[in-house]
Amino acid sequence: MRVGGSRGVFTQQVASVALCLVAAAASADDSACFECHGSPEQVREAAAAMELQLDEARVGRLVVGPMQAGTVHAGVACIDCHAGAEEIPHPADLLRGNPCAACHEDALAAVNRSTHRDPAGGASLRAGCWACHGAHDVRPANDPDSNIHPAHVAERCLGCHAKREYLRGEHGRGVQIGGLDFAATCVSCHGGHDVQPHRASDSRVARRNVSKTCGQCHGRVERAYLKSVHGAALAEHDNHDVPTCVDCHAAHNTQSAASNRFRLDSARMCGRCHGDKAMMQKYGISTAVFETYVADFHGTTAELFRATSPDQPLNQAVCYDCHGFHDVESTRRMGDEQVKERLLVRCQACHPAATRDFLSAWTSHYEPSRDRYPLIYWVRLFYWWVIPGTVGFFLAYIALDVWGRRRHRRVS
Amino acid sequence: MNEDRGIRRFTRRHIIHHAIMLVCFVGLVVTGMPQRYPAQNWAKAVVLLFGGVERVRFVHHWLGTIMSFQLVWHVLEVVWLALVRRLPLVMMPGLADVRHFWQQIRFNLGLASTPPRMGRYTFAEKLEYLALIWGTVLMVATGLLLLYPVRFSQLVGGEAILAAKAAHGGEALLAFLSIITWHAYFVHLRHWNTSIFTGRLEERVYAEEHALELRDIRRGEAPTPAPLVAWRVAVFSVTALLVVGGTAAILAWIGAMQVAIATVTGG
Repeated sequence: MRVGGSRGVFTQQVASVALCLVAAAASADDSACFECHGSPEQVREAAAAMELQLDEARVGRLVVGPMQAGTVHAGVACIDCHAGAEEIPHPADLLRGNPCAACHEDALAAVNRSTHRDPAGGASLRAGCWACHGAHDVRPANDPDSNIHPAHVAERCLGCHAKREYLRGEHGRGVQIGGLDFAATCVSCHGGHDVQPHRASDSRVARRNVSKTCGQCHGRVERAYLKSVHGAALAEHDNHDVPTCVDCHAAHNTQSAASNRFRLDSARMCGRCHGDKAMMQKYGISTAVFETYVADFHGTTAELFRATSPDQPLNQAVCYDCHGFHDVESTRRMGDEQVKERLLVRCQACHPAATRDFLSAWTSHYEPSRDRYPLIYWVRLFYWWVIPGTVGFFLAYIALDVWGRRRHRRVS
Repeated sequence: MNEDRGIRRFTRRHIIHHAIMLVCFVGLVVTGMPQRYPAQNWAKAVVLLFGGVERVRFVHHWLGTIMSFQLVWHVLEVVWLALVRRLPLVMMPGLADVRHFWQQIRFNLGLASTPPRMGRYTFAEKLEYLALIWGTVLMVATGLLLLYPVRFSQLVGGEAILAAKAAHGGEALLAFLSIITWHAYFVHLRHWNTSIFTGRLEERVYAEEHALELRDIRRGEAPTPAPLVAWRVAVFSVTALLVVGGTAAILAWIGAMQVAIATVTGG
């Protein structure tokens, strides 16, 4: 079987002279290619005719039909990409190199600056363009059948990256189940051609850029966060101790903050940093915040709710009901009066009848001491001595009574 | 006196009182301790058994309420017995009890030849009764503060609410430990004493623990209630009504106020 060489050369010349779009508009005649690559039988026949060794497992990959309508490269001829294919049998290195660059120079350059670049420094990529875009079926991104349509992006990336939890997260479920084309996919956060590892300072997912990346969709949240004590420390002082969006909401397995579970887990979430002695010492912040919360009525209830079922709705105050969340502020720059005023508003959200007297029914995370909340301190101290004292006296008396009665029984 | 059946020690009134208190006390400990130690696994197990902390609290609040009413009932009862029926306050501790206690210790050490001869209630029983009354009054008072924190913070200040919480928990632990040491020793270990359920106590034990009372019973000298006098009954009835009515009014005044937004009652 022979391939019509003159026709192939003609098409190659068109492709090299004209722009890609023009080439796409022109009709390419690939019929000669399909004589061998049209069906598995044809592939086997051709290989046999040329006495070539054929790996049966690869037969499927060698079958290529005409480009379907809607694919962006319909009209581009086979040999425009597979240069050298006019030679029969095809040269062994036919599939080396990256043919996309001929038209998509910028894209290839961007990828070669990204973490997907060829580690050897060459033009071939760690992930070839076709790994994401497909080869013969490249379609515009807004086509639901496209490999890079939001609904299919995760399939592409998960082929190499073990981040399946994205599919369980709010964004993944929004795309996959909710059918939301605007919900975040991998590339919404990591970028496409220019993807960088999170360690790189200019990465979209580097700590200092996370809020900006999330802010693409959650703009008001980003603005509130940047004004908060956490966001300001990150933006102004590049402080990496403070949480970014993903520390509370998770990067891939993104949880809805409206879920019952998020609410029940939130105190531990805050406690991850606020219970870290080494970290809090730097800022002179008490690490007893979690313990004092759990010791109080709200926290006790939250703990027991969590223990019985982590999914049940919690009707008790959690950290962010008082402190706020994206806009969390430090109380240090506020006066006592201002703190009290604002705390009362928070209390009244759930306890409408609360007055200023009610505020001291909460120790503001302070451990009672002689100076602060002394009444509680003295009551605790009282029982600290009275309980062991009383029970100790009881046990001592009982021991004596047992001993005495035995002795008298022996004597009598 | 039939030796097998023992000597009558308690009337139905005593038996019912003890039974109510037994149920309330055990129930309050079981539903209260998980709230004092929420981080412990056994606490979580108890809460799971009840089907959530809201139910644990529901049971705790109602048992506490029953015990509060029992306290009021008991106070009125004591007033009735002491002032209307003119009976001696047999559970009131006195100097004699200190002497009995001291003599028992000396006897146990071999320094005295005879154990103390005690009356209807021994010093061990009176000590426990005193602790019970003191403890119940404290638990009811602090419990009310915890049940209506917003309202009471206006009367006694917020810090008192938290002090009440500390006292409620401390007193609870003290009461629980006292019951499993002092009470368990005297009525379960020293003698297997079932008189508070059957009403009768074996003569042998009676003679050892309540020698004086037994002597009085045998001589027919046990105290008898005075005949009812109309004005005493009238004064008592009015006072009792005022106390009960007043308590109910205070509770209604406190409870009528909305203290928190409607609670979530499980999905």
